[in-house]
Amino acid sequence: MRLRNLILWDIRFQAKYGFYFLYAVLTVLYVVLLFALPMDLRRKAAAILIFSDPAAMGMFFMGAVILLEKSQKIPCAFAVSPVKAAEYILAEVISFGAISEIVALVIAVAAGVSNLPGVLIGTLFSSVMFTLLGMIVAAKIKSLNQFVLGTVPFEIICFVPAILYLFGMLPEWMQYVPQVWCMGLIAQIDQSIMGIVWYAMLILLLFFVAYRNIERMWNSMGGAKL
Amino acid sequence: MKIVYRCFLQMMRTIRHDMMLFAVCLGPVLCGMLIKFGIPFLESFLCIQLQKKTFLAPYYGLLDVFFAMLASVLFCFAAAMVVLEETDDKVIRYLFVTGLGKKGYLISRFGIPSGIAFVFTLILLRIFSLTKPGITELLLLGLSGTCMGLIIALMVVVFSTNKLEGMAITKLSTVIMLGGVAPYFVEHPVKYLLAPLSSFWMGKGMLEDSLWSFLISLMVSVIWIVVLFIKFQKKIA
Repeated sequence: MRLRNLILWDIRFQAKYGFYFLYAVLTVLYVVLLFALPMDLRRKAAAILIFSDPAAMGMFFMGAVILLEKSQKIPCAFAVSPVKAAEYILAEVISFGAISEIVALVIAVAAGVSNLPGVLIGTLFSSVMFTLLGMIVAAKIKSLNQFVLGTVPFEIICFVPAILYLFGMLPEWMQYVPQVWCMGLIAQIDQSIMGIVWYAMLILLLFFVAYRNIERMWNSMGGAKL
Repeated sequence: MKIVYRCFLQMMRTIRHDMMLFAVCLGPVLCGMLIKFGIPFLESFLCIQLQKKTFLAPYYGLLDVFFAMLASVLFCFAAAMVVLEETDDKVIRYLFVTGLGKKGYLISRFGIPSGIAFVFTLILLRIFSLTKPGITELLLLGLSGTCMGLIIALMVVVFSTNKLEGMAITKLSTVIMLGGVAPYFVEHPVKYLLAPLSSFWMGKGMLEDSLWSFLISLMVSVIWIVVLFIKFQKKIA
């Protein structure tokens, strides 16, 4: 019940601050861009678009979400409420995942992708990974500039190998690297099921770090330890 | 003027504290080195692999267009983030009632960073450009790139009321940089739908080696900047 309320609250928060409007506009732009490309490039372009935007939106926006919550003193309320850090993290992951899925679905349909469930699973997995990464960075920053800078190494680590893999410029064993594996799912490249093991291990690690960072942030709001 | 300069220095201290200053200065240099040394290497590699005479070379001009915008967009973006924080924390209203005033605030937050970005862009383009543009072309390219950075920064602060909306607008506004791609890849007249974007005319200017296109790019930029400034002044009134 508490988790459901948190998810609904997050969705309302995102709608209020224009996420849905923004992604409606971006989706139209992406679809126009896809139709402007030759047919043979369309699917690869769609994979890059999905992986780098709707799937990665959590990493891009998490800093602003947490800073805005801080300026509205929301973490102080969370700290003294029964809400647990794990529930907060799950709510963010699910609410961001929901928008990612909708946008990815529209882009994939526009690109003429046949295996839609594969794309949606890949997008969801990527979205969870990016949102957790964004949360890890966001819980430690004090300004937007710090957040933008803090996410750059993760963006390089996640996007560069994934895009190189898409163009066949990486050795075969790299397909097990979680971000590459996710890109493989989105781009419908045959992937080994073993990739999910590494992915699950990474998500557990990221969840643990995000949990610890959020707990610390809640417990040290206003410069005092609660 | 002294107070404007001090206000600018205060912003630079904030940016330096966030390490953003380091990134803003280093990012374009690293990117320039990558373009200067990495792209020709990649070009020769791809030409051998794909058995083609050229692969990336026809698009060197497009790379220069994006590179011309990069330093300026980074400088102005960092300034826009500071303005957003100041708006969110209500500091901006207090600054307006000091000797700084609205005009001084705008100069310190947008005018001086744009000027620095322009000089920085010219130096970087001179060193790292792959097409080696002439002086006039270089000046126009640098000026157009600077205007693009200013437009994006103004869009962020005009259309957002808090940090979250600011990030959303940042994402949306960077799309206007992509107009430069159209002249290179779209032959159909439908590409002129992007004519209201100054980046479109920058791309066209580089592709066709046309100074007129750069001048149109500047005129389009001025229109954007004036409209956005009027909107920003109304917002902070």
